[in-house]
Amino acid sequence: MAAVDVPLPELGNDAGDEARVSFWYVDVGDKVKEGADLVQMLTDKATFDVPSPVSGKIAKLLAGEEQTVKVGRVLCQIEVGG
Amino acid sequence: MLSRESKMSANLREPIVGDETKTTTKAGRFPPWLRKRIPAGGEAREVRRLLAELGLATVCAGAHCPNMPECYARGTAAFLILGNSCTRSCRFCAIEKRAPGALREDEPEAVAQATARLKLRHVVITSVTRDDLADGGAGHFARTICAVRERLPHVVIEVLTPDFQGSHACVDTVLAARPDIFNHNVETVPRLYAAVRPEADYRRSLDVLAYAKSRLAARGGDQCGTAGLSSRGELAEASTAGQASRATSACGHRIYTKSGLMLGLGEAADEIRACLADLRAAGCDIVTIGQYLAPSASHHPVARFVNPAEFAAWEAEARTLGFAAVASGPFVRSSYQAESVFASREDQGRPPA
Repeated sequence: MAAVDVPLPELGNDAGDEARVSFWYVDVGDKVKEGADLVQMLTDKATFDVPSPVSGKIAKLLAGEEQTVKVGRVLCQIEVGG
Repeated sequence: MLSRESKMSANLREPIVGDETKTTTKAGRFPPWLRKRIPAGGEAREVRRLLAELGLATVCAGAHCPNMPECYARGTAAFLILGNSCTRSCRFCAIEKRAPGALREDEPEAVAQATARLKLRHVVITSVTRDDLADGGAGHFARTICAVRERLPHVVIEVLTPDFQGSHACVDTVLAARPDIFNHNVETVPRLYAAVRPEADYRRSLDVLAYAKSRLAARGGDQCGTAGLSSRGELAEASTAGQASRATSACGHRIYTKSGLMLGLGEAADEIRACLADLRAAGCDIVTIGQYLAPSASHHPVARFVNPAEFAAWEAEARTLGFAAVASGPFVRSSYQAESVFASREDQGRPPA
């Protein structure tokens, strides 16, 4: 079983900028399909849904709701190939 | 010493992630129509890598544009030339007012190279305002247009310029390089200029558009003829046939003028209506209407979120006024989907106005 890191993608800010976790669509243990929404993020300009890059099972959520996270920072880990 | 951020997180929720996260207040919720899906895939990263390699800035990143992930994933970007520090301090814009730097002599060529490598069919070139330069950067705009045209004769070139402090000579310099679209944004209604664009002037911006239009109309008859442009194929054909006369007419067709305004800054409906009428009176061909979104809490606040139905109504009204093309919607920006907006124009094939 390999764990895939899901980092916060660039959302229209320069690299090094950040966004706030609005809420998680998923919880630890949930199975997700590639492309499914994982988390809703807020910037100063819009709401963004972050899709899952892979199909797998949510192993860890690494950012809590209302937390501000920098671009590139890992939001969650997904187990694949299990 | 604790940073402001760590003090904030200490007072609020226990952080799950390390010290580079912070907790913030609940401000900044958006209505459902201001929601974007981030495209999966690595195309956006490729665009960013190319821009970094060529040392190019984009207004997409500079303005914290929420369309950036989508546009980069589609392989498009709007280039920001003349540096990344602006001599003006408009209250809606994220680009900072700082001491401007020297011009990059190789920037026109870098833009041409990026346009080629991104395989753009429609390139948008914009800039910061450079009131410190004698020509306001108009010569640099012209050189950039020429560099792109030289390398890629068939690419549609759209420039989004500052007001050049109203200088007709500067507008002439840009037009002489024959962009396909001359875009200058009025941004907002005149009443809000003092609050939103304190160093600009509504009438001056209208005059820039009207002057550009008058020059193009004068030229249209003697240089471009009345052939017009009925399809992309015809554009390419005209361009190939007209290689020798490229200096006078890059693509053998008219140049369009374009402008845009933001809604949600505090303007009233009758002011929007009057602004659209002013733009038409200035001969403006294409108009974009989008939701203003504040880059930060210290910028001009968002007065209201305009819903998609109202944007649609403004689009219909603008079409009634006779604009050749209109884009109106919450995420519409001056350069957003510029290619398809241009392709949607209704006057294709008609003689130049």
